Amino acid sequence: MIAGRFFDGRTSAAQPAWLALGADRMVRLEGIAEPRYVPLASVRISDRIADIPRRVEFDDGATFETADNDAVDAALDALGAGGFGRRIVHWERRWAIAAAALAGVAIASWLFVQHGLPRLAAAAAQKVPPSLDAAIGSEGLVIMDRTLLAPSKLPAARQDELRSRLAAMSAPLADGHAYRLELRRGRGLGPNAFALPSGIIVLTDELVELAQHEDEIAAVLAHEIGHVRHRHALRMLLQDAGVAALAFAVLGDIGTASSLAVALPVVLVQAKHSRDMEREADAFARQWLREQGLAGSHFDAMMCRLAAGDDAVAYLSTHPPLAERADCARVR
Amino acid sequence: MDVMSAGAAAPAARSTIPFEFRATGAEYFRIWIVNLLLTILTLGIYSAWAKVRRLRYLYGSTSLAGSAFEYHGQPLQILKGRLIAVTALAIYLVATNLWPLTALLLLPVLVFAMPWVIVKSRRFHLRMSSWRGIRFGFHGTYGGALGAYIGWAIIAVLTLYILMPLWIYQRVRYLLSGSSFGTERFAFSASIGRYFAFYFIALGLGLATIVGLVVSTMGMAAAAGSGGEAASLAVTITAMVALIAVVILAPLAIGAYWERSFTNAAYDGLALGPHRLACRIRTGRLLWLYVTNVLGVLLTLGLFYPWALIRRLRYQLECMHVEAEGSLENFAAAAAPPADATGEAVGEFFDVDFGL
Repeated sequence: MIAGRFFDGRTSAAQPAWLALGADRMVRLEGIAEPRYVPLASVRISDRIADIPRRVEFDDGATFETADNDAVDAALDALGAGGFGRRIVHWERRWAIAAAALAGVAIASWLFVQHGLPRLAAAAAQKVPPSLDAAIGSEGLVIMDRTLLAPSKLPAARQDELRSRLAAMSAPLADGHAYRLELRRGRGLGPNAFALPSGIIVLTDELVELAQHEDEIAAVLAHEIGHVRHRHALRMLLQDAGVAALAFAVLGDIGTASSLAVALPVVLVQAKHSRDMEREADAFARQWLREQGLAGSHFDAMMCRLAAGDDAVAYLSTHPPLAERADCARVR
Repeated sequence: MDVMSAGAAAPAARSTIPFEFRATGAEYFRIWIVNLLLTILTLGIYSAWAKVRRLRYLYGSTSLAGSAFEYHGQPLQILKGRLIAVTALAIYLVATNLWPLTALLLLPVLVFAMPWVIVKSRRFHLRMSSWRGIRFGFHGTYGGALGAYIGWAIIAVLTLYILMPLWIYQRVRYLLSGSSFGTERFAFSASIGRYFAFYFIALGLGLATIVGLVVSTMGMAAAAGSGGEAASLAVTITAMVALIAVVILAPLAIGAYWERSFTNAAYDGLALGPHRLACRIRTGRLLWLYVTNVLGVLLTLGLFYPWALIRRLRYQLECMHVEAEGSLENFAAAAAPPADATGEAVGEFFDVDFGL
């Protein structure tokens, strides 16, 4: 007999009662004015969670509540009526399994962010219509103009020269991107270059002035074309959204206070992704130089000059370590 | 008159009945992490079951007069509601991204949909809660939510936020006086003055902090400029440390004051029939919990969160009790109202945090 309390479902009055589960799969409730004797199939026994009270619900809304979880489990097990709920509560009680689950969650999140997300973002980027690309690109340039960049001070003739160089480089690619060169004074950014979605490539005056050979600028442009072709900016955007969604899925359920704790790993992972993208763009630049019969050393020379200059800090904060990407010793 | 019949003839015996809370951070952590892994392995489908287990644990660990509360949410129903909500959300996100103008067009729709979501979410939440086999309920109407959430918001803005406390008051009143237990409605009787008092005190504390920080920063800058010696360096460093402490602690302290005042104003005095709820949270204890919880969460990269939540709940329940007039055995169940299970489960997804 399992001791507990009975509620008739009509009032909040509690009545002491006793419940028995017979081998004939019948439920017997006694100790109350009208004892009950009903088939097990007609009642709902709540799943056990830790040691919160267990409820047996009758089909007329009456309930029997007991703190004696072990007795209910024993009775159910004797009838072979345990089910999946019995297993989960077992797992929830054990520290070893909780630790394994924690490791599993960490590994799954890591795998998703590391491998799943980049692939999903790349696939999604292919599906995004060019109109959205263009909107993000021009919007991004407006924001950067307002905050980081100033109008270029290069002579108009020089600017036209550079624009036609990019046009000459990108036309044979015929990859559907509308490449456009924008020249700006970099101010805090120093010698720098970046690609926005929609094919806008921004070069700073400082970078143009730093170059000692036209093909060095071409190498940088090829690197940025690589970013555009692989739709890196858009993929980065989608990955950010994906990481945010994952963080919400993992922690959103229990609250937002831990967002600080999520931010750090996200930043680290994103840095890794951005390094991978730089490598992809580098590979494209080197291959392009090779195909054009130009010396790959132009690329290395430019990279190393960027690394050696006074503005190296500014460049490094937006790009991964150059030593990994160019053999500076060989160039000198 | 003899003693026994006098006792029996006094039906309204007054008693203080505390809430009991038996949940532990360790148990809650294990439940959370095991179910989270299952959620991930099932690509999110299990999340509805996980949520039900977590809520059942929290409800079932809370008891009053020897009986625990119970959460009755059905995972399949919640899953269905979530699928509908996620689909709607995805359509909205895609549409507004591809055609930014749709956001503008949908804005009025969203404004009018919000009260609907609030009503449904609240109704789901209460209907799925019970004590001693009697369900809670919510009777607030769409019109009531529209007035409390949108109408009073407009009035608050038009009066340059001077009537902001009235907006907060109206929202709490709408949510609580619309709630019921069985056939009995909750009666919300907190004074409006209480809301004005804590709103303007919190506002004043916030402004005082900002002014104090600005003044002391300027003072420090001036001192550093004029002195410039080793002794003044020590003073500057001390002042900097103090400043950082204030920058971090002041918002937490004001937050603790706000939460304590808001929660007390909502629950303290809330009546159900002849019985009254008492809620006396104290700012100092709450601030201590805030500080230790934030430290714990930061130092463990978030793993402490389940403990933080349990500590916070335990403190609130320790501060609450029922001042009962007579027995708690006489509540009667209400006839089940016509159910709109799917609509309510959709509301569940948006599970708006009412701060209640």
